[in-house]
Amino acid sequence: MYNCKDSINLLLDYLDGEMSPEDAQHLREHLRGCSPCVEFLRTYRATPGLCKRALAAKMPKEVSDKLTEFLRSKIKSAS
Amino acid sequence: MSDEAVREEDRQLLARAQDGDVSAFEALVDAHRDKVYGLALRMTRSEADAAEITQDTFLSAYQHLKDFRGDAAFGSWVHRIAANHALMRLRHRRVAQAAEQELKGPEFTERGSLAEYPQTDWSRDAEEKALDAELGTAIQQASDRLPEGYREVFLLKDVEGLSYEQIAAVTGDSIPAIKSRLHRARLALREAIDAFYNRDGREL
Repeated sequence: MYNCKDSINLLLDYLDGEMSPEDAQHLREHLRGCSPCVEFLRTYRATPGLCKRALAAKMPKEVSDKLTEFLRSKIKSAS
Repeated sequence: MSDEAVREEDRQLLARAQDGDVSAFEALVDAHRDKVYGLALRMTRSEADAAEITQDTFLSAYQHLKDFRGDAAFGSWVHRIAANHALMRLRHRRVAQAAEQELKGPEFTERGSLAEYPQTDWSRDAEEKALDAELGTAIQQASDRLPEGYREVFLLKDVEGLSYEQIAAVTGDSIPAIKSRLHRARLALREAIDAFYNRDGREL
């Protein structure tokens, strides 16, 4: 019988859909009887999406102007 | 516009750019510069480096335009070039690193059961439109605290959406090593978000 620690170590493979049938069976059995792990799985799964949104960045206007200028000068000197 | 429509537009612009149409190349740059800059900024945490990496990335893309076969999307191609440039820059400025043992994760009892902690189910907040600004800051700080190798893998996979194979190609690490670091990074970030939501409970 897997404990919480074993189960949590399988979560990445579980979410990637890359688990052996035996591990999948053990994990399902554990989750059926462990609500903290079900809760944990939910928040583990939500983590990447939240982080992605928190780390979003947009290029400032002056940087994009410089980029255009830089590429134009390089392209012109190459042709 | 749907992803497929974007890709079709990219394909047309790419074909014109490959025929020497500079304005078509500039339109591709406009469409993808925010993503490239964002990747570079997250990886290097330096606006100056991010601006230079973006320049280098699109210059490399321009110089190799003729070699690009179009079997992948233009967006993922420049994304990979940017990841390469960002990693090269990071390798050049290896600074004092947070030690691995500082990576936080869930706490277990001796028998390997999850230790008790106050619980707030915040998983649904991930789908809400506005992200709490304080939470955003907490996540940024937690991501900054990750040891470099863990932060890189987490950013490339979970934020930039590269595949394990692509990450292995740019970092030179094995896929099992990448997965193991990604898992530890996610656990640490999950812990930080959890602490944010349960902070009131803990202070009492």
